[in-house]
Amino acid sequence: METFPLTEPVFLVLLSLAEQPRHGYSILKDVESMSRGRVLLSTGTLYGALQRLLAEGWIERIQEDDAPRDRRTYRLTPRGRRNLQIEIDRMRHLTKVAALRVAGKEA
Amino acid sequence: MALTLYRWLLRLYPESYCEEFGEEMTSVFREARNEIPPALIAKINFYQREFCGLLSGSLFAHLHRLFGPAIPFPRFYMQRQFRFPRFTVLLMLVIFAAVILTIAKAMSVSVAYGATPGTVWPSLISVFGVMVVGMSTAAVVIWGILHSLRRSGIHRLENVQSRIDSVKSNGI
Repeated sequence: METFPLTEPVFLVLLSLAEQPRHGYSILKDVESMSRGRVLLSTGTLYGALQRLLAEGWIERIQEDDAPRDRRTYRLTPRGRRNLQIEIDRMRHLTKVAALRVAGKEA
Repeated sequence: MALTLYRWLLRLYPESYCEEFGEEMTSVFREARNEIPPALIAKINFYQREFCGLLSGSLFAHLHRLFGPAIPFPRFYMQRQFRFPRFTVLLMLVIFAAVILTIAKAMSVSVAYGATPGTVWPSLISVFGVMVVGMSTAAVVIWGILHSLRRSGIHRLENVQSRIDSVKSNGI
């Protein structure tokens, strides 16, 4: 489970939770907003990813006594945050290489 | 009606999955449905996305339950490991040659038992034609699978970068 790169939807779900703990619908809207409407997750895709992230210990549910069963909140675990950082570093490296190569081509 | 259909499709998921996420998914679906723009195309896109998502999600939930992590979640990693191995091409050629040799052998046996060679060649050509069509179809299907698995090609970019790094480290 420590291999990369992540797909864009999963990356955006993790980014959404990196800012603050969120419930399902809030993640859905935040992903849409971050991607400027390009990535529209279905509930099936979202909860498939959440289930896998929960199973791998990248995210966890926040235990709230008064929270209804159909509105549970998720947050990143330290492991999830570390893996997200690795993915961000990988992307930063790629964009740096891409920028250098494009600049080299234009020069 | 859409909500009823959604709840019904949720039953396609494994029971444990439904117990854990069913209510939450229904609630999120209800909230998302309330915010669909009034345009007809937006509604069609929304329902198509949701119902296709449920069908594929339930399929992978079952596969994951049966086979565990051996089945990759379709939208988790870019599937860079799903490259068409060159060895497969070699294997296909070997199998193809074996089939041709078997047909040639069968032809010689058939001739030895009294069949005229003129009747054997048309059937050999038709078998060859069927094999070519079959292999082309298989190639198209495999390409479709690789495409749907979102083969990214990022590995090639990384290969290029490792070559650049090695050239830089050699001081060229």
